[in-house]
Order: sequence, then structure tokens, then C-alpha cells
Amino acid sequence: MSWKNVKLIFLREVRDQLRDRRTLFMITILPVLLYPMLGLGMVEMMLTFSEQRRVVVVLNADEMPATPSFFNENGIDEKWFSGGGEDASRLQVITDISVDVNEDNVTSGSARHGETTPAQLLQNGRALAEKLAEYKKASEERGTGDDLSEIQDRLSNAFSDSQLQVLVVIPEGYAASIAALQDDANIVEGHEESQPPSMLVVRNSADDKSVVAFSRVQSALNLWENELRAQTFEKASLRAALQNPARLKWVEVARGEQVAANVWSKMFPAMIVIMALTGAFYPAIDLGAGEKERGTMETLLISPARRVELVLGKFATILMFSIGTALMNLLSMGFTGKHMASAMAGGMADTVSLELPGFYSLMWLVILLIPLAALFSALCLALATFAKSTKEGQYYLTPLLMVIMGLTMFCLSPAIEITPLYSVIPVVNIALLLKGLLLSTSHAGELAVYAAPVLISSLGYSALALWWAIDLYNSEGVLFREAEKFSVRSWLRSLNRDKEPVPANHEAGFCFVLILFLQFVAMSYMRPDLSGSAVDAGRNILQTTVIQQLTMIACPAIFMGLLLTTSLRATFRLRMPSLNAMLMGIGLAVLAHPLSIELSSFMVQSGILPPPPEGMERISALLQSSELSPWLIITVFAVTPAICEEIAFRGFILSGLARGGRLKIAVIVSSLMFGIIHMIPQQAFNAALLGLILGLLAVHSRSLFPAIAFHLCNNAIATFHAKNGFGIEADGVFFSNYEGMLRYELPVLILCAFGVAAMVLSMVKDLRKEEEVKRARALKAFNPPTDSANHLPAGA
Amino acid sequence: MPPNTPPFGEDSDMIRVHGLTKEFDDFNGVFRALDDVSFEVRPGEIYGLLGPNGAGKTTCLRILSTVLRPTRGFAEVAGINVMHDAEAVRRNIGFMSCNTGIYDRMTAREMVEYFGRLYGIPEEKLQMRIEELFDILQMNEIRDRLGSKMSTGMKQKVSIARTIVHDPPVIIFDEPTSGLDVLVARNVLQTVEALKEQGKCIIFSTHIMREVEKLCDRIAVIHRGRIVDEGTLPELADRHDQPDVEELFFDLIQKRDSELNEVTTA
Repeated sequence: MSWKNVKLIFLREVRDQLRDRRTLFMITILPVLLYPMLGLGMVEMMLTFSEQRRVVVVLNADEMPATPSFFNENGIDEKWFSGGGEDASRLQVITDISVDVNEDNVTSGSARHGETTPAQLLQNGRALAEKLAEYKKASEERGTGDDLSEIQDRLSNAFSDSQLQVLVVIPEGYAASIAALQDDANIVEGHEESQPPSMLVVRNSADDKSVVAFSRVQSALNLWENELRAQTFEKASLRAALQNPARLKWVEVARGEQVAANVWSKMFPAMIVIMALTGAFYPAIDLGAGEKERGTMETLLISPARRVELVLGKFATILMFSIGTALMNLLSMGFTGKHMASAMAGGMADTVSLELPGFYSLMWLVILLIPLAALFSALCLALATFAKSTKEGQYYLTPLLMVIMGLTMFCLSPAIEITPLYSVIPVVNIALLLKGLLLSTSHAGELAVYAAPVLISSLGYSALALWWAIDLYNSEGVLFREAEKFSVRSWLRSLNRDKEPVPANHEAGFCFVLILFLQFVAMSYMRPDLSGSAVDAGRNILQTTVIQQLTMIACPAIFMGLLLTTSLRATFRLRMPSLNAMLMGIGLAVLAHPLSIELSSFMVQSGILPPPPEGMERISALLQSSELSPWLIITVFAVTPAICEEIAFRGFILSGLARGGRLKIAVIVSSLMFGIIHMIPQQAFNAALLGLILGLLAVHSRSLFPAIAFHLCNNAIATFHAKNGFGIEADGVFFSNYEGMLRYELPVLILCAFGVAAMVLSMVKDLRKEEEVKRARALKAFNPPTDSANHLPAGA
Repeated sequence: MPPNTPPFGEDSDMIRVHGLTKEFDDFNGVFRALDDVSFEVRPGEIYGLLGPNGAGKTTCLRILSTVLRPTRGFAEVAGINVMHDAEAVRRNIGFMSCNTGIYDRMTAREMVEYFGRLYGIPEEKLQMRIEELFDILQMNEIRDRLGSKMSTGMKQKVSIARTIVHDPPVIIFDEPTSGLDVLVARNVLQTVEALKEQGKCIIFSTHIMREVEKLCDRIAVIHRGRIVDEGTLPELADRHDQPDVEELFFDLIQKRDSELNEVTTA
């Protein structure tokens, strides 16, 4: 591979993109101008925003005590609002002191056309008060429910027609009763407690305007109440300090930057994911599908540059734009946010300052952005290469964006923190690590432990996606894909007609999806009945397991094999194996067992994998304690899965995936699928690893039987291991006992590892040799003919 | 036979194709776009591939330029098997077709320079070559014009310059005149002739009889994936007793059609 070519292609693509107005707009103009403009616009709107005045009508206002005076001539006095005059101006308070109904004609003259005059509002208020009195009376008399609700309906209707937001009716003799109570305060004994009559308030909590007006009135009344209390205390010669005996004084430990960190830790990871994706997507579409659409793809393909070089050059370009877009957006957003916060906060600047994260956090941000952008770039390039046109390419954005957004949303939830498991899930790992790092600089050391797995796994996923893109660039079908007429009928016909001995890649994929789907269905509908005695429950478990294996794993594979392939023998590898291969299968199972037990316990103990769910333990306890015959258990847990799962995974799926000669990928993918189907993390991990050996056995021997032998032995050994540990006594050197379970010590493990490695390597070596021979034979087909007599001009 | 003699054709042949077959999978089953095609082309010769649209001309030429891989058969360019060293084959080929467009957001000069660099031409030599090409093809006035602002004729000139910037021994023209007006097409044909004078080995595919008559030393009539007949024009006219080129072409195509129909009905 020539890096010179990669660089040439990279430089050309970058220049090409920079000459494209759309790209420039997306990565520079948009972030540089959009955020400040948005921010400015928001500040402007905040400043010019004025809450509309809400109408509050107070009846019997003259019944309020004169001191402290709640009202002035304009309505409620400013001093009862915490916001002062500004707050007061937001309420239009109409009292029957300030407005005289008889002045109706005079006031209406000054009012603008179409606006209800205060006098009218007051009248509306009075009408409402009558209805209110009616309602109150009815409710006190405990009228029948129907009556009451009817009156309430009428009141409610009248209220919404009245254009009032809140109606306050001060009871008759309110001032007098307050004054009496104040006097009474001197006399401690001999007087029954009496409450001042309550003020009647009508509001509509379903109407926001009414709620806002009500809360303003309420808080004003609270302040007035405090003042009244203070006066009463004074009159009663009580210490003013007693009014607020529970005084709180708090120390705020959140520093300004922590408040900011909290904000940024929520915004930056989400923004960085979305921006890195958009930054990668549009250039990728242009570089992939756009090149096809504009007819320059072939020009590039006939240049001496290799396909790998083309992909790498394009990938580097997309990566640059992805990182660029993300950084530009974050910087612009950060500065705008900081500026806006200080502009809006005014006097309270210390509490709301949005200081940008420190250098350390920003450095992590950039480091983590690289694998994230690399993953998106490679993924987008692959999708864009697959697309025939830019339009088709854009259709792929929506599902991609949805999946990524879903993952990001998951990370935004405050309770979610990075765990060993999450640290290997793409996108989630980076978003969570970044969130943690931005949130707390003090715990950065703990989080840095995750940096290695996050970076390594992310780069691994990127490499995988890049490999996919390169693979697509090497595929003629993708590069010269033309619009095909698709009809379900011709597709079905082609399925039937173009049957081959083994299934196609996508048919294998579909088989897996089908099995997975059935498993999900089974999870909710096929729970074994655990009630009843231990033996009954055990029997139920065994029965359900067999049914599941037969119907949900073996059945789909066998039927797909019957329908979609021409040779069951080739698809399910029903060939006689050599004795050697069978022995290898059994031997590997015996040797791999201690390794898999110790490895999965290690994974659980170190917290990388969650422990098995409780239900599992109960089931295994049930099976061990019950008096079920061991042969029955072996049949159910070893023989059945060995046959059913091997038919599906090493049969149909592996054969399908391996079509086209890519054995390595086929074995790896089929083992991953095998792992996924096991659902419970610990089992899935085990199954995926053993799946590698199983796949290798099947491919190497061309027969399913060694894999079945391995699977059967492995499950049987595991069953006996859980039951009584084969009766082996713990000696502390080779074997030990941990919580009643037989465990293997290092010497045993080393011996087993040697054995497994030797067998696996010998198989890999055989396969390599075979592949070389096959490749040489395949190339021979393209060699010049050896006999010159064969060469006759066609048609001559 | 001496051990080093190639098994067929001549040592000097620049392009050798034998039994080349290409199959595509689609919904309607396997489609054989190219069926057992064999020919050779010598340096200083223009070899015409004459056939209607969809005959398999483009597929054949794409295999020669290593963009497609053959299903079976042997193809060699400048002594290099297309399946063995694709990069080396591409280095020895100039390829121009109606599918090899030029970049919209690159000027003529940048375009030619970029491909020159991809071919690994040393910088000094490349600059000289570009000057030379721009003079010969009279493209100095579009030197700094973006591809999107060029007329079809100008684009074609840039494509030609791009095709021969590395001075390849083999040049493949796949319907280079399709969609061009008479003047531009004439220019292209003149350039092809000039290249022949320089001793290049040229394959020229077309469906226009006039171009074949004017340009090609030998032709192969190709239809539905097979070469129906091959030779110089007088040879073909003699063999099929049809002096009119156009009629000859139709006769050959009909012959192949009826052959195929027999196969399918049989």
C-alpha cells in the first residue's frame, strides 16, 4: 500500500469538499454563526419578553385591615411583591375601592375599543361572586352531588366567560375579626381559639394564566401575612425573633465550575455524538454515492491507486470533517453558552456562570472524539458506498441517526454510569466516559481505568467498519450496482430457482434473526412452571428446554435448509468425520472445560460481567436437588442442545456465512451469534468463546459430528461439574473448592491451555494450507491456455 | 515448441485475451455478459469492438482495465495478467469511456495533475508532460476552469489528457464519442489516430459503423457476449459476401441472434 497515494487522495478530497458550498456551510458557517445568533436571539427575546397583565378582581377590598395596607389606589401595593414594581405591574388588580361602578361611562370613554373596562370586569367579578356564594351555600348544605356539580359547572363557565384570571372575595368583617384576634392575643386563657374567616378565591388550575396570577396573589398575601404577624407580635410584646424560629443557613458547596460541569456533562456527550455523526455523514455521502452519481467513480477505479488506498484516503477526509464539525460546534456552543449565561444572569453571575470545562477535560474530549469520529466515518463511508445515489444515501441517515440517538439518550440518564460492560458497547462507552470525565475532575483517576477498554474497543469497531467499507469497494456488485426492478414474485421465484447446495450469507443472517426472535417470544410465553414440588418443577424445566431447543433452534434451521438449499448434506455438513476429528472434538471439550469455568468466574468476580440472574441459580438448584435421573438431565442439557444448536449454528448459519470462502469471518460471526442467542451475559461469553472452537472443528473436519461431540461432552461435563464435581477431592494444588464448587488451579489450567492451543493451531495450519492450494487452483483458471491448438479465432 | 514461446498469439501482442467469460448474478438468475471471448491486439493497431448496446463491450473493457474481475478466462495487458497484478496493468493502460467523468470541483490542470501523481510520474516530468498535453490538445484557455463550468467538448479534452498523461502503451476507448456533437467527435477521432501513429495499442469500442470504417485496422463484431466474427473489414466483407459495412454488421448480429434462439428453443 502506498501512503503517498492515500495522501494524494486525501488532499484532493479535502480540497474538493472545501470547494463545496454545502460542506463549508455545514462545518463552518453553521456552528460559527448559528449558535451565537441563536443565543443572541434568545437573550433578545428574553429582554423584550413581557408577561401580559393578568386580571385579578378583589371584592370587598375595604374589608382588608388598614394596617398593614394590602392595597393602594392602583391595586395591590408594590411592597408585597418580591420583584417590586415590576412584579406588581404584571397584575391588573381591580378592587371595589379603586373602581366605582357608577363611573362606568367615564372609564369606558378612556378605554380602548374592544377592551373590557375595569368597571365591566368588576361587574363580572360581582356576578361571579354571586355564583360563588350559591356554590358555597350548596356545598355547605350538602346538596345532592348532581346539584352541586351543576352549580360548579355554571361557576366554571361563568369564570371562563368573565375574563378574570383570579377572583378574591374578602369576607365581611375580615378586618374586624383580625383586629379582635390581635386584641385577644393578649389574653392567653379563657378564650376559645378562633380563626379569622377565610378569603374565597376562584381560580382555574387548568389555565396557566390563572395559575400564574394566583401564585402571584398568593405570594403577595404571604408577605402581607408575615407583616401582619410581625405587627401582632409587636402588639403582644413578643420577641420578633420568635416569628422564624427555624432559621436555616446553608453553605453551597457546588462551585461555579461544578454547576457548569453538570450542564456540560449532559450537553457535550450528546452534542459530540450527534455532531460527529452529521459531520461525517454529509461528506461521506458526497465522497461515496456522490462520486458514483457524478460518474467519476470509474475514473478513480482505473487509476493505479489500490482500492484500500482509495478507501483510506476518503476515510481520512471524512474523519477530518467529522472531528472538525464536532469541535467547531462544541466550541461555538460552549462560548455562546458561557456568554449567554453571564448576559442573562445579571447580578447572580457567580451561581450560573457556565465556565468551559478545564484543559484536562477538554483534552479527554478531543482524545475520545477521535475513535468516535473514526467509527462514524467508516460506517458512513460504507453506507455511502453502498448507496447508488446521494438521495439513496440520505435515506440511510435516518435509521443510523435513530440508533445513535437512542444510544445517546440512554447515556443522558443521570443514573447510568460507565461499567465494564458498557465500556465495550460502541458509542455508549465514549458518551458515558466523557460524561463521567466532564462531571467530576476529582474522580478522573477512577474513570481513567476505563479509558483503555473504551479506546481499544472503539478503535476496534472503527477498524471493523473500515474493513467493511474496503470490502464494499472491492465488490463489483456494489460499485456497479444498478437499479434493479424488484418484485416480490420474481424474488420468490429466484429464491426457489437459484438454490445452491449451501445457503447464502443473508439467508444465514435471516436464520439467526429468526432464532433470536423466537427466543424473545419464548422468554415471555414459555416460562417453565416452577410451582409444585421440586421434582415437578424440575420436570417442567426439562420439558420446556427440550421443546425450546426443538422448535426454536433446530426447526428454523432445518426448514430453511429444506426450502432454500439443494444439499442438506452440504448445508448441515452430514459427512462421516475421521476418527481423528471425533477424538479431537472430545479432547478439546475436556481440555476447554476448566478454562471456560475459570475464565467466566474470573469475569464475573472482577465485575466485567454481571453475575447470573437469581432465576438461573434457582433452576440449577432445583435440578441438582431433585431426584431426576442423571441420564435424563444429560439427555436434556447435553444431547438435545448438542444436536439442535449445532444443526442451526455450525450447520445452516456457518455454512451460509462461509459461502464465498471467508472462513475466518464466518467462524467469528457465527460464534458471536451463538453467544448472543444465550442471552445471559456469562453464558453468552462462554458460548461465544466455545463457538470459535466449534466453528473451527466444523470447518476443519467438514463435518458436523465432531462439533456435536464437543458440544455434548462440554455440556455433560458442565452438568456433572455442577452436580458433584466428578467426585474429585480438592487438593489445593490442582483442584480447589470454592463455595461448594470444584475449581481448577493454575497447573491444570496451563496444561489445558497447552492442549487447546496445540489442537487449535494444528487445525488453523491445516486450513491455511488448504486455502493456499485452493487459491492457487482458482488463479489457474485465469492463466493463459497451455495448448496453442486451442486457440482459434471465434467464428472462424 | 521452445519453452519460452508464449502458447498463442505473438510475443509482441500488447493485449491478449482468451476464453474470457463474465457472469453476473441478478434476480433473473445468472446473466452471462461475456462468453468465451478471445482476441489479440498489436502495438500500433486500432482494434475495433463493434456491437450494439449491451453487447458486452464495456464489460470486456472493464475486465481489461481490472475494474471487473473475470469469471473465467485469461486476459493480459502489456504482458501482465489482469488477475495477477491489477495495479501494474492499470499503470500500463489509459482508459476513457463515457463513464469516466471528470471532477466538477477541480480545474483542468488540477485534474490532469492529480491523476499524473497517482500514476507516480516524477513531479518535474509531470509538469513538462502537462504543458505538452495542454499544447497538443489546445486546452490552455481552460487550464484553470472548474469542471462544472466546462462544455462537453472541453470535458472530453480533459478526459483525453487524463487518459494519456502517463503515456501508456495501451489505450482503451469505450464509446468515446457517445453523446458528442460532430465537431467534438471528430476531434476525438483525430486524437485516436494520432495516438496510433505514436505506436500505441488501441482498443476502440463503438456502435457506430462509420467510425469503425475510418479508424480501425481490425474489428470484432460482438453481440450478446460473444465475438461473432473478427478480421479486417475487407476480410469480413469477403467472408460474408457483403461489401456494405452496415449490412454486414446487421447480418452478423442476426446470425448470432438466430444461433441463440436455436439454443434456447432446442
